[in-house]
Amino acid sequence: MSLEIVNAHLIDPATGTDAPGGVLIDRGIIKEFRTGTGVSFSGASETIDAGGLCLAPGLIDLRAKTGEPGGEHKETLATASRAALSGGITSLVVMPDTRPVIDDVALVQFIAERGRETAFARVYPAGGLSVGLAGEAMSEIGMMAEAGAVLFTNGDWPIASAQVMKRAMAYAASRGAIVMSRPDDRSLAGGGVMNAGEFAARNGLSGIPVEAEWIGAMRDVTLAEQTGCALILDQVTTQRTLDIADIARGRGAKVFTTVAAHSLFFNELDVGDYLTYCKVNPPFRTEQMRKTLIQCLKEGSINAVVSAHDPQPPEEKRLPFGEATFGAAGLETVLPCLLTLVAEGELSMIEALTPVTIGPASILGLPQGRIARNAPADLILFDPGKPWLCDRDHLLSRSNNSPFDGRRLQGRVMRTFVGGRTVFER
Amino acid sequence: MAAAHADYTFRHDHLLGIEGLHPLDIAHILDLADTYAEATRKGLRPEPVLTGKTVVNLFFENSTRTMSSFEIAARRLGADVVSMPVANSSVKKGETLIDTAMTLNAMKPDALVVRHSASGGAKLLSRKVDCAVINAGDGTHEHPTQALLDLLTIRRVKRRIEGLKVVICGDIAHSRVARSTTMALHLMGARVHLCGPRTLIPPGTDTWGAESAGTDFDQALPGADVVMMLRLQLERMNGSFLPSQREYFRYFGLTADRLALAKPDGIVMHPGPMNRGVEIESSIADGERSVITQQVEMGVAVREAVLHLLAGGRA
Repeated sequence: MSLEIVNAHLIDPATGTDAPGGVLIDRGIIKEFRTGTGVSFSGASETIDAGGLCLAPGLIDLRAKTGEPGGEHKETLATASRAALSGGITSLVVMPDTRPVIDDVALVQFIAERGRETAFARVYPAGGLSVGLAGEAMSEIGMMAEAGAVLFTNGDWPIASAQVMKRAMAYAASRGAIVMSRPDDRSLAGGGVMNAGEFAARNGLSGIPVEAEWIGAMRDVTLAEQTGCALILDQVTTQRTLDIADIARGRGAKVFTTVAAHSLFFNELDVGDYLTYCKVNPPFRTEQMRKTLIQCLKEGSINAVVSAHDPQPPEEKRLPFGEATFGAAGLETVLPCLLTLVAEGELSMIEALTPVTIGPASILGLPQGRIARNAPADLILFDPGKPWLCDRDHLLSRSNNSPFDGRRLQGRVMRTFVGGRTVFER
Repeated sequence: MAAAHADYTFRHDHLLGIEGLHPLDIAHILDLADTYAEATRKGLRPEPVLTGKTVVNLFFENSTRTMSSFEIAARRLGADVVSMPVANSSVKKGETLIDTAMTLNAMKPDALVVRHSASGGAKLLSRKVDCAVINAGDGTHEHPTQALLDLLTIRRVKRRIEGLKVVICGDIAHSRVARSTTMALHLMGARVHLCGPRTLIPPGTDTWGAESAGTDFDQALPGADVVMMLRLQLERMNGSFLPSQREYFRYFGLTADRLALAKPDGIVMHPGPMNRGVEIESSIADGERSVITQQVEMGVAVREAVLHLLAGGRA
C-alpha cells in the first residue's frame, strides 16, 4: 500500500523547505519527496490531492498532561490523543504527575501500552525524576529509560533540594537520560498565583516573580554543567532565562529550552477580571516579555514550543482566582497559535514550525519531525490562513479550560497522518 | 435626597470596588450617606426604603464589626436581614463559593453583602447571582464601603476632600483598605502619599492614584491634613516582612512627636481594629485629633446609602 500526497506546499524546517511539492509514502514510511509544481510519483496505489494546502511534519509535543491513570475525568490518553491529532500533534510526551506517579518500570510500560492500544498519536512516557515526585529519593532512571521513558522530570514541582537534584542529574547523565526541569525557586514563587508586578498588586493577587525563574535556571544549568547531564529548561518565560541557558551552553553544558505556546500569545493583562482559564504556572508575563520571547524564537534560541496541556475540569476552575488550580488545555491550540503569529507577520513559517518539529525531535533523537526519506510518515495538511473562532465547547479535549476560548485564530489542521494512516480529518 | 448633579443617576448593579466608580457616583453616595448620618444624629428614623427587601450578609471571613455595621444599616432602612458567618459552616465541608452563592440566589435576596478571603471573590459571585452584590472586603483587593466611610468622615471634618494631603501608613501590600481608599481619595482630588516598610510596599501604586510610596514616615508627614494608620497583621511582624514589633513602632508608629509633623489641624484615622502600641500610641488613638469612632459611625451611614441605592430602587 503506497500513498502519494500531491499538489501540496511542503514545509520542512529540518531542511528549510518551503515550496510546492509532494511526498510518496510506503508502509508508513516516507519513501520519496520532491519539490516543484505538478509533482507526482509513479506506482502509488492511492493519491491525495492536497489542493495547495501546506504539508508539514506532524508536531512533537514535549509536555502534555493527561489524567491517566487516576484522573480520567480530566483526560485519558485516548482523549488527549484525539485532541492532539486535531491540533496537528502526532507525538506527545506525557508527564508523570498522575495518580499514581509514573515513577517505576511497570507504570512506564503501562503508559506506553495504553498509548499503543488506545491512542492514535504516538505516546511517549516521561518518568518521574524522584520517587512519588517527592523530591527526596531518585527513581529507577536507568530501568525506566530502558522501558521507554524518554525523559525524566519532577513535573510541576521541581526538586527543591540542590543536592537531590545534583545526584539525580549525575545519575541520569551516567545512564544517558535527559532531565527536564521547571526553572523555579519555589521558596520565592511559593504562594504566587500570577506574574508579580503592578497588575497583580492592583488586583490583590500574590505574585510569582521572574527572579524565581532566573534563580531556578541558574541552579539547574550549573548542575547540568557540573554533571554533564542533558537538561531541558521547561517552559521558560523570559529572555534572561534563555540567556542563562546560552551562557551555560557556551561552557559546554547540554542545555535545551522550551516555551509554552500560550506564553507566546498572552500577557498578564489577559488575566483581566480574575479569569481562571488564564491561571497558568509559569504565569503569563508582561507584554514586553512576550514580544521578546517571540524575538528569541525567531533567533532560534528556543529549542521547542510545548503545549503545556494541563486539563482541568470546571470544579478546579470555577473558583476565586487564588484558589483555582493552575493549568490550561493546550493541545489543540499550539499550531493555530503559531500560525496566527505567522499570519500577523511575527514569525516566518519555518521559524514557527522548527520548535515543534525538528527542534524537539533532535532533543529526543526521534526519527520523525521531518520530511525525509525513511522517516515515519507523521504528517499534517493544514490551511495556514484559515480563520476560526476558538470555542471551548467545540474542543476535543475532555477538559476545555482553554485561555484561547473566544479568540480569533488563523490556521487550521485539515488532515493528520501517523505512520501514513489518516487519523484525523476535518 | 440631595443630588450631586442634576442629570445624574446611579447606574451600578453592584458595588464591587472603587475601581469603576465615577467621581459623581462617589459624591452621590456621600451626599446620601450624609443625610443618613444627620438623621441618625438628630434621632430621626429614616424612611424605610428597604421594607420587604431581604439583605443577606455572607461573611466567609469573620468580621463582627463590618457585619454588624451592614446589619444595623439594613435594619434601619426596614430590610429583613440574614447574617451568615459561613466561616464555620458548609463551606468548610467542601461547598464552593459558587455553590453557596447559587443556593442563596435561589432564595431570592435583594442584596448580598460578601466578605471573602480571595481577591475577586465578590466579582465571581456577582457573575452568578441575580441580586445586587456589595463587596465587604475581598482578599487583598478592595473594601469599597470602608473607603467611602473614610471619605465621608474626612469630608464632614474638613468640609472638602479636594486638595487635601492624606498620608496612609502601614502594610500597604496586603491592605484592601489602602487600595480602595487611595483610589477613592484620588478620584475626589486628594493627594495621597503611601508609606510603609519596603517589604510591604507593592509596585505600581501610582496606578491606584498615589502620588508617592515611600519608607520614610517622617518625611511624608509634613503638611498632612489626614494621617491614616493601617492595621499590621501580627503574622507579618515576626521576621518575615519586618524584624519586630518594636522596630516597626520605631519607624512607623504614630506618636505625638510624629503627629506634630503633620498640619496642626491634621486628623488621625484608623480602619480598625487597632493594635495599640504597635501602629499607634493609645493617647493618639483616643486623643482629640482622632476621628476613629466617627469612622465607625459613618460606616453605618455609608452602608445605608449603598444599600438604598442598590436594593431600594434608585435615589
